[in-house]
Amino acid sequence: MQNYIDVFNNPTMMTSIWNTLLFTIGSISIQFVIGFALALFFNLDFTLAKPMRGLLVVAWMIPMTVIALLSKFMLSPSGGIINELLLNLHLIDQPIGWLINNSTALWGVILANSWVGIPFNMILLTTGLSNISKSLYEAAEVDGASSLQKFVYITLPQLRPAILSVVILGFIYTFKVFDLVFVATGGGPVNATELMSTFAYKLSFAQFLFSKGATVANVLFIILFIVSLGYLKLIRKDEVIH
Amino acid sequence: MGKYWKVITCIALVVFTTMLVIGCGSNTAKNASTEGKKSEKVNLTLWHYYDGALQQKTMEELAQKFNASQDKITVKMEYAPRAELLKQLTIGLVADKLPDIVILDNPDTPSFAAMGILADVTDKVNAPEIKKDAYYPGPLKSNLYNNKYYGVPLGSNDIALYYNEDMFKAAGITAPPQTWDELQVAAKKLSKDGVYGFAMCDLKNEEGTFQFLPWLISSGGNYDKLDSAESIKAFQFLTTLVNDGSLSKESINWTQADVEKQFATGKAAMMINGPWNVAPVKADAPNLKFSVVKIPKDKVWASCLGGENFSIIKGHHEAEAWEFVKFALSEGNLSAMLDLMGYIPSRKDLAESNQKLKNDPIMSVFVDEMQYAMPRGPHAKWPEYSEAIYTALQESLTSQKTPEQAARDAQVKAEKILKGN
Repeated sequence: MQNYIDVFNNPTMMTSIWNTLLFTIGSISIQFVIGFALALFFNLDFTLAKPMRGLLVVAWMIPMTVIALLSKFMLSPSGGIINELLLNLHLIDQPIGWLINNSTALWGVILANSWVGIPFNMILLTTGLSNISKSLYEAAEVDGASSLQKFVYITLPQLRPAILSVVILGFIYTFKVFDLVFVATGGGPVNATELMSTFAYKLSFAQFLFSKGATVANVLFIILFIVSLGYLKLIRKDEVIH
Repeated sequence: MGKYWKVITCIALVVFTTMLVIGCGSNTAKNASTEGKKSEKVNLTLWHYYDGALQQKTMEELAQKFNASQDKITVKMEYAPRAELLKQLTIGLVADKLPDIVILDNPDTPSFAAMGILADVTDKVNAPEIKKDAYYPGPLKSNLYNNKYYGVPLGSNDIALYYNEDMFKAAGITAPPQTWDELQVAAKKLSKDGVYGFAMCDLKNEEGTFQFLPWLISSGGNYDKLDSAESIKAFQFLTTLVNDGSLSKESINWTQADVEKQFATGKAAMMINGPWNVAPVKADAPNLKFSVVKIPKDKVWASCLGGENFSIIKGHHEAEAWEFVKFALSEGNLSAMLDLMGYIPSRKDLAESNQKLKNDPIMSVFVDEMQYAMPRGPHAKWPEYSEAIYTALQESLTSQKTPEQAARDAQVKAEKILKGN
């Protein structure tokens, strides 16, 4: 019990919980919106749709460590490709130190993490989309529905189970991300990108305070456990409907 | 779509099973090595984290030499990356899967002694054949915990200032900087066109603390008084270098190996680094003309002590393990080994009589720095101390806090640690 009190009295704990939430919500929203858009896009039957979709999935297969290193180079203020691009487009006139400023570091890792998550979202949503029967759209067309109406009244409700699983699985995956942040920033600068997972690691294996590291890991576990329970419940509800 | 999924599942299955098989393979191999065959010979395992190819070869050769020298003990070297090794040691404590001998970074020795893993070797260290008095005080002291020795120094190193001679010439700087003021002026002069005058590692881990301590000591500060005016001055000075544009803001994400790359690729005109990076610089940039001098000083010369200690795991084959350590420490073996590994002997007599070190214009600087190299701690809670220091350094360099504020907050943390909280 004393460990819990100690840990919660440590200002880094609060920062890490806050960062983890921000990281998770930020990553999921970006991943989901772009993933969904891509899924819809590739669902239009054009010639290269399938191979291109396949190519995009590659991002999801790359080990996190590699992605972390890549993003470290890409986001670097001295010659990083993202800064060069923005400079050449005249969107900025000074390179931004994405991973070295307190205010942007978390966004830097969120961007990197979203990039990995997009294909995952896309694939799951594509399977959902391909399960929607074509006859529904045909019927709607006969009734003179606009494409927006088709999207809101057919696509979204039909995709509900897929969207639910994507968001909750995404939450679980993102909430426990460790390697990406650990390699890209090590939780720095200062504590700007310290997540609960990196904080737990640091306590246990850099400072040898196992009991405190375990406490942080426990809190992480409890949060994930609650989310998973919620997920199971929602799924069960859906199954009853079907 | 169905087809793709099948293919993907197949690939995933194959990968997964292979991983399982590989996982089993290494596990059984490890079991065999730690338990050993039931012969009369005692099998010892040594864990180390030397990742250089040459360093690993040197360790292997040492084991072979020892195994051939007698017929009672067989030593086997096992390598693990440093983070992994520390993790395995701490987990091994619970699971009782420990090696017999371990080579630890010097500030870690007291921490593991406090955990009760290491054997007390005070009597053995005091034996005349070890020549305790011949050691530099820093390395020897790093093995102390509660006034008892829990290890012996293997080899040491420290850090100094590398500088690019051609860049100095081009900028019209005739002599390398000796004081902080000279360093600041020179670094500013050298910073232009994407080149930074000065580079060091301010990483958010032990490496950052390691590189920062020389500045802290040089200004007259100390790690047990982080909020003194002298200590604050050290934070202040490095922050000024960042604000001048002489030290890249990215240094907070650079490892010491990254710093070496910056220097070797000509993106930094000066860097703080250790002797283990002399060979990498030469390999990465064969045409680069560089030299090494002592770290510029404010009030006193200072450097930080690096290097490793041999420790023996408690309750295993302590006597046999000590036989090996003694063999490794014998003068001929030690000198030959350290020469190959780019280390400085922790024994003053060996360091100063070593002709190879003496005649090398670069290595002799590192030997010279040894007398100013301060050990980190020794303190069982050094890792927590270190956290307070590198956090303050990062807060100060990123201008998240003023140097005064960062230093004061670090002192509050340090006092809490001392009180045992």
